[in-house]
Amino acid sequence: MSQDAEKVIDHFELFRGPEYTEMFVNKKCMFENPVAAEELERVSEWTKSADYREKNFAREALTVNPAKACQPLGAVFAALGFERTLPFVHGSQGCVAYYRSHFSRHFKEPTSAVSSSMTEDAAVFGGLNNMIEGLANSYSLYKPKMIAVSTTCMAEVIGDDLNAFIKNAKEKESVPLDLDVPFAHTPAFVGSHVTGYDNALKGIIEHFWDGKAGTAPKLERQPNGKLNFIGGFDGYTVGNMREIKRLFDLMGVEYTILGDNSDVWDTPGDGQFRMYDGGTTLEDAANAIHASATISMQEFCTDKTLNLIEGKGQEVIAFNHPVGVEGTDRFLMEVSRLSGRPIPAAITKERGRLVDAIADSSAHIHGKKFAIYGDPDLTLGLAGFLLELGAEPVHILSTNGGNSWKEKAEALLAGSPFGKGCHVYPGKDLWHMRSLLFTEPVDFLIGNTYGKFLERDTKTPLIRIGFPIFDRHHHHRSPVWGYQGGLNVLVKILDRIFDHMDQTTNDVSKTDYSFDIIR
Amino acid sequence: MSSLGAKVQKVFEEPGCATNQAKQSRERKKGCNKQLAPGAAAGGCAFDGAKIALQPITDVAHLIHGPISCEGHSWDGRGAKSSGPLLYRTSFTTGMCEQDIIFGGEKHLYKAIKEVVEKYNPPAVFVYQTCIPAMIGDDIEAVCKAAALKLGKPIVPINVPGFVGSKNLGNKLAGEALLDYVIGTEEPTETTPYDINIIGEYNLSGELWQVKPLLDELGIRILACISGDAKYHEVARSHRARAAMMVCSKAMINVARKMEERYGIPFFEGSFYGIGDMSASLRNISQLLVDRGAPAELLGRTEAVIEREEARAWERIAPFKARLAGKRALLFTGGVKSWSVVAAMQEAGMVITGTSVKKSTPDDKERIKELVKDDAHMFNDLKPREMYKLLKDARADIMLSGGRTQFVALKAKMPWLDINQERHHAFAGYEGMVALIKEIDKALFNPIWEQVRRPAPWESDVTPEELCLHVA
Repeated sequence: MSQDAEKVIDHFELFRGPEYTEMFVNKKCMFENPVAAEELERVSEWTKSADYREKNFAREALTVNPAKACQPLGAVFAALGFERTLPFVHGSQGCVAYYRSHFSRHFKEPTSAVSSSMTEDAAVFGGLNNMIEGLANSYSLYKPKMIAVSTTCMAEVIGDDLNAFIKNAKEKESVPLDLDVPFAHTPAFVGSHVTGYDNALKGIIEHFWDGKAGTAPKLERQPNGKLNFIGGFDGYTVGNMREIKRLFDLMGVEYTILGDNSDVWDTPGDGQFRMYDGGTTLEDAANAIHASATISMQEFCTDKTLNLIEGKGQEVIAFNHPVGVEGTDRFLMEVSRLSGRPIPAAITKERGRLVDAIADSSAHIHGKKFAIYGDPDLTLGLAGFLLELGAEPVHILSTNGGNSWKEKAEALLAGSPFGKGCHVYPGKDLWHMRSLLFTEPVDFLIGNTYGKFLERDTKTPLIRIGFPIFDRHHHHRSPVWGYQGGLNVLVKILDRIFDHMDQTTNDVSKTDYSFDIIR
Repeated sequence: MSSLGAKVQKVFEEPGCATNQAKQSRERKKGCNKQLAPGAAAGGCAFDGAKIALQPITDVAHLIHGPISCEGHSWDGRGAKSSGPLLYRTSFTTGMCEQDIIFGGEKHLYKAIKEVVEKYNPPAVFVYQTCIPAMIGDDIEAVCKAAALKLGKPIVPINVPGFVGSKNLGNKLAGEALLDYVIGTEEPTETTPYDINIIGEYNLSGELWQVKPLLDELGIRILACISGDAKYHEVARSHRARAAMMVCSKAMINVARKMEERYGIPFFEGSFYGIGDMSASLRNISQLLVDRGAPAELLGRTEAVIEREEARAWERIAPFKARLAGKRALLFTGGVKSWSVVAAMQEAGMVITGTSVKKSTPDDKERIKELVKDDAHMFNDLKPREMYKLLKDARADIMLSGGRTQFVALKAKMPWLDINQERHHAFAGYEGMVALIKEIDKALFNPIWEQVRRPAPWESDVTPEELCLHVA
């Protein structure tokens, strides 16, 4: 049947009808000069071979299906973690539209960010005017308490000087002189979103601590025994931040979260639009200099930021996205040491519950082979957890991971007999992963939404952990940190294992003799 | 109830059961069910026992007459596998409600039987009695009889209200129901000198299928397996087998013995667990068949298969020996497994520090003594707290048991492997032994056990390195 105005069929069904399938076949045969089906099949099979893998890994210039995003995305993330802060990206507006939709698709929340909308003339003559007008407009339109400026490639290529531009803009009374306008240069052609997060956060902290771009005296550090906590670029920030705060409160730790996105990406549906919600107050951001130490959950997201903080005399500790028992142990013990607060019995009990749950299910995960890809810290945290479960990571890939990440990952793997057969791939993309999955198959793949293409091609069941997750809702609400978070990750992995078991045993009268109620 | 009472009494006097026979007649009358201590944890009821014994018959509609509880909790609870029909996994119950209890549930039951027959047309319907209809006096035997006449199909009453006794009693009453209503009611189209019955094997996790290829190779036909992967007609025609193997000695001994009495089918008790036991079972089957007139060359062929399969299994277990040698195991399991698994694990170089004998016969116990010499301890019924203490003190490396003890093991920080009903790995036959050893290896070496045994790092001033990772 063809489309009928009375009963229009949507895309799920439309092209499955015979008139379309026939038409497609005819079109292909008559007009597309197709290769023979056997030839198509041969080449398709060849892309799965070791021979193809070798050619694939010899790729030098082309990136296919990268698993990373650009610096300004991370900068927008960092900016949104502060009270009434408007991320302002100096550059082309198209990029900013991407960041907004990217975050909205992941968090299912509106994400506010503006750009200076540079056009061709700005690219030729410099973007100063765009900055002046842009700051003025966004200040009057959106009433921010702070505007955090970052850049797209366009501004970076022509070499716009943010420091000078912002000063200029303030002199021209584009925004009040005392408005906080921290900035960071975040070219997408360097690093990735984790670098951008680092740069932007450092920019904000530097602004408050080092005299607000020359408009105020530098702050003198007077240690007050508090702890600073930085989450890093984290797709689970909504659940994670709340979990971390809960743990700190249970321990009675005095803390400042530097960059808290948990409210702005989880506003209630009560009829009120909150362009800004929650976030670290600007006062807290300034006072964070007095803390005794700063803990970062993601080393590769906070390299420069921690350098700055350490330079102020604080002790800094960085983790690699700890997931599971031992990772959380180390994290909490550092918190305990730095704060002088003991770990209370209630948390010890939570730990016992996670250990108990892992032991209950160990038989199902033990010896299962996994491929992981994602951001450098996340892959390290997940790999550590898999080793703890007795699973065997086989491929660990990070498009935005470099050599230091590779060394870290290899050291981690060397510490466990379950890490023996695993290889680490820095700077590789998901097309490389495709070859890896075909030539050295694994039982499960852990990655973000884009992993679904790998799942489709290689039939490796995908466990969605990472950023972005577009095609499943609300995962970001559940923590993956803390013992409770470890439990969530465990359940996620187990669910997929059991789903897969069900899916491979549910053919009626063929395989469903193993389609069991109890697993 | 009087007929049910008589039946229960008869089961207690089962001459095939060594425990019963060892008792004085007065004691025997009291039956083999220990009175349960109210308030103490207890196992399943007679209904449950009957259900698990018969539910593996795959093409029968199993209709549970009672309120939702009985079927609600037992629906598809065991991994008894089917190679064909799947009707046994569909849940049928009358789901009695208040009105049924006030006015009686017999009409409701009859209608339910009729509907099941009309909608599914199964070769037979098994109707299970439960506590509530038994208490209000629903006569399921009469209803089944009437329904069978009207519907022209075997409608088999399984009279096992939970309150009559234990799960084990339910197993036996289920066997009685088969003897009364099913076995011998049909004739097979053809018989061979190589026909056997396997009694008390439920094909959990498809275990029967690990054994069947060897029987097939020897030309031995399973006329009926009671009840794993069985079809109604196979059970109905099982009285023409030449010999029988009795697998789970306590569950269906009455079926094996009465079939010997009624139809002259000799049986032996055997096990498919463990390499030695598997071989012995194959030998016994062949010997019984030859005794009943099968050509003697079967014995030679059997030996050849045994030799080949044993060598193959040993070869595959050998690589694990280095890792498993000297590891100590505690067994909490029932019946035959209390010794057949012992042998199997010793084959892998493991040491047995204890085994439970709750469901074992004196015969079973003798075999354990023989196998484990003086080193082992036999345990009887254990309360979770005692079990916990035992596990803590026993300083074993692994425990093998059923699902219910898993969680106690875990609290005692003991690696654990499920070898009972709800497991998902088949451990029968030569193939199964290799699988068991693989699973033990996995359980022992899973890294979580190090973690389980360690206190939270802030709770101890000992460094993790100083902590003993595997209990010495």
